[in-house]
Amino acid sequence: MRRRDIVRRAGRSLRQAKARTLLTSLAIAVGAFTLTISIAAGEGSRQYADKLIGSNINPQALFIVKDKSVFEGSQTSTGVTEYDEDTITGHAAMGQQNVKQLTQADIDTLTKRSDLEAVQPIYNISMKYFQVQGVDKKYVAELSTYNDGVRSDTVAGSLPPLEKQINDTEVVVPESFGKTLGMSAADMVGKKITIVLERAASAPTNQQIQEILMTEGTAGLSKLTTGETKTVTYTISAVTKQASTSLTAQTEMLVANSQAKQLYDFMKSGTNTYQQYTGVTARAKSDFKPEDVKASLEKAGFGARTAKDLQNLLFTIVNILQGIVTGFGVLALFASVFGIINTQYISVLERTQQIGLMKALGMRSKDVAKLFRYEAAWIGFLGGAIGAGIAWGLGTWLNPWIMEQLSLGDGNYLLIFQPIPIALLIVALMIVAVVAGYFPARKAAKLDPIEALRTE
Amino acid sequence: MIEVRHVKKTYGKKQNKFVALDDVNFTIPDGASVAILGKSGSGKSTLMHAMSGLDRPEEGEVVIDGENILKLKAKAVDKFRATKMSFIFQSFFVQANETCYDNVSLPLEIARVPKRERRAKVQKALDAVELSDKIKSKARNLSGGQKQRLAIARAIVNEPTILFADEPTGNLDSTTGEVIENLLFDYNKKNGTTLIIVTHDPDLAKKCDMQLFIKDGKIASQVNEQKKPKVTKIPVSSRRAQ
Ligand SMILES: Nc1ncnc2c1ncn2[C@@H]1O[C@H](COP(=O)(O)OP(=O)(O)O)[C@@H](O)[C@H]1O
Ligand SMILES: [Mg+2]
Repeated sequence: MRRRDIVRRAGRSLRQAKARTLLTSLAIAVGAFTLTISIAAGEGSRQYADKLIGSNINPQALFIVKDKSVFEGSQTSTGVTEYDEDTITGHAAMGQQNVKQLTQADIDTLTKRSDLEAVQPIYNISMKYFQVQGVDKKYVAELSTYNDGVRSDTVAGSLPPLEKQINDTEVVVPESFGKTLGMSAADMVGKKITIVLERAASAPTNQQIQEILMTEGTAGLSKLTTGETKTVTYTISAVTKQASTSLTAQTEMLVANSQAKQLYDFMKSGTNTYQQYTGVTARAKSDFKPEDVKASLEKAGFGARTAKDLQNLLFTIVNILQGIVTGFGVLALFASVFGIINTQYISVLERTQQIGLMKALGMRSKDVAKLFRYEAAWIGFLGGAIGAGIAWGLGTWLNPWIMEQLSLGDGNYLLIFQPIPIALLIVALMIVAVVAGYFPARKAAKLDPIEALRTE
Repeated sequence: MIEVRHVKKTYGKKQNKFVALDDVNFTIPDGASVAILGKSGSGKSTLMHAMSGLDRPEEGEVVIDGENILKLKAKAVDKFRATKMSFIFQSFFVQANETCYDNVSLPLEIARVPKRERRAKVQKALDAVELSDKIKSKARNLSGGQKQRLAIARAIVNEPTILFADEPTGNLDSTTGEVIENLLFDYNKKNGTTLIIVTHDPDLAKKCDMQLFIKDGKIASQVNEQKKPKVTKIPVSSRRAQ
């Protein structure tokens, strides 16, 4: 029998048992629905992440550290590390582990490299307190460098485009500050922030004491041994978004690079941690691939992360979530497999005579098996099409609502349906159905026509 | 020509062993009409199944046009049945929920006849059984006689050389049965198709060129009508000792 005729006859048999066919395929449809949603959500999240990263992170941007364990988290940390004079106890943002710092020599090495540009240490500065114009209370927060390789979403005010620093008079604060300060984001923009820094008294060496006594007298000495304060004032130019969907959640206030350096020098010069940095930001030059630069940096003993790594990190989260949904879909499919087996067995029993007749007329056993396998494939196709169709319709209808709930921003749909993955899903479901229909089909193929045609 | 030589078929094993066909021998010339007669359970259907290659008796040969079909591979036997043989059954076995067209088209599909050639063949077969006006009707809406005519159309559509009919009138009243008989004999005469009818109706058997009487799985006697009616008793000595 020709394949076309078998397929046609298979389709006709199913039409003749409409209710049964439909119910069996509905079981598959449940699985197909879940899997379609899962695929669409995965695609949507990926596109969203892509978009976020594409418009907010310079693809050439690199984040370089001395100590790779910064990236690896605490899993690899044994709690005991070898003493190294360049190592200091990292600040809260890096966890309570000893982090090997980049020294000025490292910075120089990086700056000299031909494949890097815009090498900027990240300055982390501890303030004494800060005050916002119009608020009496004093607060404390971390202060750091504005990174022009990443552009955060703002809730108020605006940020310069990628690769452009903010002005020296400006400061960027996270949305979360508003809660503590009791101000709305819009209110914060334009307000002045006064930051007070206090440098700890240094422990001068004998030689330094003598020098200072010689040049500035006792006044100079007391200045050297008591702390020193510095007051700076900035204007809030932007408030960054703190939403869970925001790519780069920030907890520090950020000032322009040159400002951060000044403040850092004030705080750290003369201390033993001066010119030691947890990380630097840099850009791979435009004719270098960031991955290659990363590899080369790693060879040179640094740790590095590219924009793509950040993307992959996000994708890992997306993949895990998607895996969970997919798991439910597969479970539903698994259940539907038994439905198909059952239906097809009943179908074989019901059509014993038909099978016997076809074999008596010279139909090959393998064609009989094919007939039943195609029927199973049809059921799989129908279930897949129904499930995917409903998912598509429902998803498209609900997308604007989901977008609002998750505040994804205009045009960013969570569920993105694409024909090719859905077509592949349906094909996969057809294969699953055919596999499920294997035993019933074999039973049909093995049927003895004489037995089948016996009439008592 | 169909030659049946020393065919033996047993059912069951050891104590339950039952000999359904016991050293059956006969020859059917091309284009003959043959009646296989006998009581219920005598082995008529079993013989027909053996002759058509549906069943594989453990001993003997069935030689059709010089080829022992019992030695052929399953694929070749299927092809044999698809292209050279046809069946009509007592219970019609038409597919009730299919149209007459699809019922008749089935053997053509099985024999891989190209689609464009099928329509004319189906039409011709349905014309022959006077069912052309029912071509689009579902088979379930047909009467018993019409169903059997449909079965005949299905049997002749691929122009077989051998037509097997297992009690074709068994489920029909006598007038309807006669219509069916006439159709079969007409077809046999016009097309030179060998017609093998299993029956226990002696009147129907008398219309055949040749009558084979079966009793307990053995050919009890053979009558060839065309020559002077002559009954040949098969001598006991020619049967193989069991
Ligand atoms: N599959 C089988 N197993 C055991 N006995 C069988 C089987 N098929 C047929 N028989 C027996 O073989 C004998 C011949 O059967 P059959 O050829 O159908 O008779 P009939 O002449 O009525 O067509 C009967 O006695 C029947 O019981
Ligand atoms: Mg019988």
